[in-house]
Amino acid sequence: MSLSGKAAIAGIGATEFSKESGRSELRLAAEACLDAIRDAGLKPSDVDGLVTFTADANSEIAVQRELGIPGLRFFSRVDYGGGAACGTVAHAAMAVATGQADAVVCYRAFNERSGHRFGQASPSSRADSTGLEFSWHLPYGFATPAAWVAMQARRYLHDHGATSEDLGRVAVAMRRHAATNPKAWFHGRPITLEEHQASRWIVDPLHLLDCCQESDGGVAIVVTSAERARDLPHPPVVINAAAQATGPDQMMMFGYYTGDLGALPAMGNVGDTLWRQSGLAPADVQTAILYDHFTPFVLVQLEELGFCGRGEAKDFIKDGGIELGGRLPVNPNGGQLGEAYIHGMNGIAEGARQIRGTSVNQVPDVRNVLVTAGTGVPTSGLMLGAA
Amino acid sequence: MQESTVHGSSVHGELTEAAARLAAVGERPAAPCPDPVNAAMIRNWTQALGDPGGWDGVAPPAMIQVWSMQGLAGPRQQGGSVADEPLRLLNEGGYGGVVATNCEQTYDRYVKVGERLRSTMRFGGVAGPKKTGMGEGYFVTWYQTWYDENDERVAEMMFRVLKFQPRKRPDGAAGPAKGGGGKAGKGGKYPLQPAIGPDTAFFWDGVNNGELRVQSCDDCGALRHPPGPMCPSCHSTARGYVVASGRGEVHSYVVHHHPPVPGRTPPYVVAVVELEEGVRIVGNVLGCPPEDVTVGMPVRLVFERMDDDLTLPQWTPAGAPPPQEEPEPGPGTAEGGLEIELTPTFVISTALATRDFTPVHHDPGLARAQGSKDIFLNILTTMGLVQRYVLETVPGAELAGIEVRLGVPAYAGDTLRLTGERVDEHTLTVRGAVSLGDHVTATVRLKAEER
Repeated sequence: MSLSGKAAIAGIGATEFSKESGRSELRLAAEACLDAIRDAGLKPSDVDGLVTFTADANSEIAVQRELGIPGLRFFSRVDYGGGAACGTVAHAAMAVATGQADAVVCYRAFNERSGHRFGQASPSSRADSTGLEFSWHLPYGFATPAAWVAMQARRYLHDHGATSEDLGRVAVAMRRHAATNPKAWFHGRPITLEEHQASRWIVDPLHLLDCCQESDGGVAIVVTSAERARDLPHPPVVINAAAQATGPDQMMMFGYYTGDLGALPAMGNVGDTLWRQSGLAPADVQTAILYDHFTPFVLVQLEELGFCGRGEAKDFIKDGGIELGGRLPVNPNGGQLGEAYIHGMNGIAEGARQIRGTSVNQVPDVRNVLVTAGTGVPTSGLMLGAA
Repeated sequence: MQESTVHGSSVHGELTEAAARLAAVGERPAAPCPDPVNAAMIRNWTQALGDPGGWDGVAPPAMIQVWSMQGLAGPRQQGGSVADEPLRLLNEGGYGGVVATNCEQTYDRYVKVGERLRSTMRFGGVAGPKKTGMGEGYFVTWYQTWYDENDERVAEMMFRVLKFQPRKRPDGAAGPAKGGGGKAGKGGKYPLQPAIGPDTAFFWDGVNNGELRVQSCDDCGALRHPPGPMCPSCHSTARGYVVASGRGEVHSYVVHHHPPVPGRTPPYVVAVVELEEGVRIVGNVLGCPPEDVTVGMPVRLVFERMDDDLTLPQWTPAGAPPPQEEPEPGPGTAEGGLEIELTPTFVISTALATRDFTPVHHDPGLARAQGSKDIFLNILTTMGLVQRYVLETVPGAELAGIEVRLGVPAYAGDTLRLTGERVDEHTLTVRGAVSLGDHVTATVRLKAEER
C-alpha cells in the first residue's frame, strides 16, 4: 500500500505576516486555522484532526477549544524545528488515508519576531539528549542557526569553488519574487547582488542578506481524502508523495562529525522517497518550494534532490535559473527570505496555490510541485500534484 | 529651542536634529586642564596601576585623558558638555541605560613633565536605533583632542557609548532563565555552560586534567566524538578513551559577528577541527586574527579557562609559538599573560589616580544601588593596563595608539588576565578577560623604532 494520491490539500489559510502581530500566538493559530477551514468550504465541526510542530506553543486542544471543534480523533506533533513543516501534512495524509480522521488541519503560528526569536543565542544546559548535543557547541559561542549553517556553507564553498556571490544570487532571486507578492514582507523591495555583498556580516561566510527574516504569523493547511476533496470548492491539491527522513549521525543542525559537510543527507533521503513514491523525476516538476532559512542550503537541496549534480548548483542558479521564467522557478512567493518565516508552512500554502493556479507569481502549466521543510535537521518533503 | 515634550516616537527626530546641529558646531574648548603634566600625578598613577615606571620626564601615553579630568570638585566628566544634549534626549526618551563601548586613543607624541595642555571636544554622531545585546539603543560618539602650548596636537580620543532601553523581559521561554546570559552572570560564572551527563563526564574530567579524551570502544576499538553510551558499530557498552595528541586541522570554520552571544566578544572564530585520530570536534581558534584562519590550517590544542569550574579545549595555529616564550616576564606576568587581582584597593586607587571620582568606582553601596554587582574598574585604568601589558611584552616600544572595545565589567574581587598576540611588527592585539568574559579587546599600534 502506498500513500500516493490518497490525500489532498483542500484548504489553505493564513494570518497577515508581520514583525509584530500584536496578538497572542493562540489567536494567530485560531485565525489561520479558521481561514483554512473556510477556504476548504468546511466548518470547524467537520475537522476531526489537528497536527502541529513540537515547537509550536499552541496545543491541539487549545486550538480545538478556540475553534469549537466538538472532538478530535487524531492529533500528533512533529519534532525538529522547521524540519517538521511537510511532516505535519505527511502525518495528516496518513491519518486520512487510513481512515483515522476525515479532515485534519496542520498549523504553525508564532510571534517569532516580536516574541521568542530563534536567531538569538539562548544558553541551554539541560542534560537530556538534546541538551548534551548542544553542549558540544554552545560553550564556544556557537549558538545561532546562522552560525550552524555557515559552518556547512564554508566547507561547501571551499569544496565546490562556489562564492558568496553564488549565495547572493539565491537572495536576489527570492527578493525579486517577494517584490511582486503583496503578502510578502519584502513586497516592492527587490535587492541587487551588490547590496547583498555590501550587507554586513552576520556569521562569515553569511551576510545579513543570506539570512531569512524573522516573522510573526500563522499558516494552516486542511488535508482530507483525495476523493472528498473533489467535492470541495477548490481543485484538489493531491499529495502524490510525503516523506520524513534523517541522515547518518543525524543531529540538530550539527552534521559536522562524519561525512561531507557540504551535503544534506537527510534531504537526499527525503528526495529518494518523494521520487519513488510519486513515480516522478526532476523534469516533471515545474516549480519547487525549497526551505530557505539561509541561502546556502538552497544550493545543497538542488543537488540532494537531483535537480543538478553535486557541486553544480552554482551553475544551475546562474542567469536567473531559479527565478520566474528560469529552468526551475524556486519559491515564487519569495520564500522565507522574502515572504515570511513561518517555519516552512507558508511554502506549503504557496505549493498548493501553484497547483490551483492562483499564485500572484503563477508559474505556467504547473502539474507537480516539490516542497521541502527545514534543512540541517531531521526533515520532510511533499510532492503536490493536480488531480 | 523646541519646547515639545519628548515621547518615545519623537526621540529619533529630535536626536537627529540635535546631532546635526552639534556636528555643525565642530570643535570647541573643553574645561581647562587643572594642572600641568607633573611627576606627582605620574607617580600616583604608576604606583596604582602597577606600572613599572621609568618614564623619565615624559608621561605614560595612556594617561592622556587624566590631564583633563576635573577631579572631585569639578563638573561630572560624563561626556563633557559636547554630548550632553543627545544623552539627555535619550534619557528622556526611555534610553536610560548607558555603557561605554569603544575608546580609541591616538598619540602624536608623548607629553613631557611641565607642559600645560588644553583640550577640545567635538561631537561625532548618533547611530541608531539598533538592536543590541543590552536592548534597543543608540550609539553616541564624541572626540576629545589635546594640544600643547604651540597648538600642536599631541593626542586624540574617540569615545563611544551605547544608550539603551533596558530590554523587556521576554514573554516566552526565551530569556536567559538560569545561569545568566546577561553580562553579569551570577557568581562570576561563564554564561555558556555545557550540560554534563553520565556519558560525557569523562570528557570534561579529561579537560580538567589537561587532556582531550576521545571515546573508544573497548570491544571493537572504534573512536567516536561526540561520545555516547553504545558503540554504533558493535553495540558494546564497554567504553574507554584515548588521549588525543592535540594535533589537527581546520575542517571548516565561521567568524561570528552577530547577534551578541553572552560571554563572548565578536568577531570570534568557531571551527570544526579534524583531529589526527580521525574524529572531529568543535572549538574556537584563538591566538590569530579571524582573517588568518583557513580550511586545512594545522592547529594544536590549548586549554582556555572560562571560570572557576569550566575549562574548554580550544585551538591555536600549530605554528604559533607557545604562549610562555617571553624571556623576561615582568612583575605579575604569569604564563604569557598579565594577571591582576582586582582588589577593592586596586579598583579604588586606580580610579582616583586617574582622577575619576564617579561613585561606581569607589563606593560599593552606590554601585549596587545602580544595579552593579560591586565597584568596577574605570575605563582610564583599563587603557593604562593595556599599555602596561604591551610595554611588558615589547619592552621599550613607543605607542602610536590604543583602540579598545569594552566588554563585561571588571568587578572588584575578580581577576583580570591580559593576554595578547603580536599581529605584525607594529600591531598587537590584547585581550583582557575576567570571569564573566572579555572585559576588553584592544588593538595597539606601535611606532617605528626611534625612541
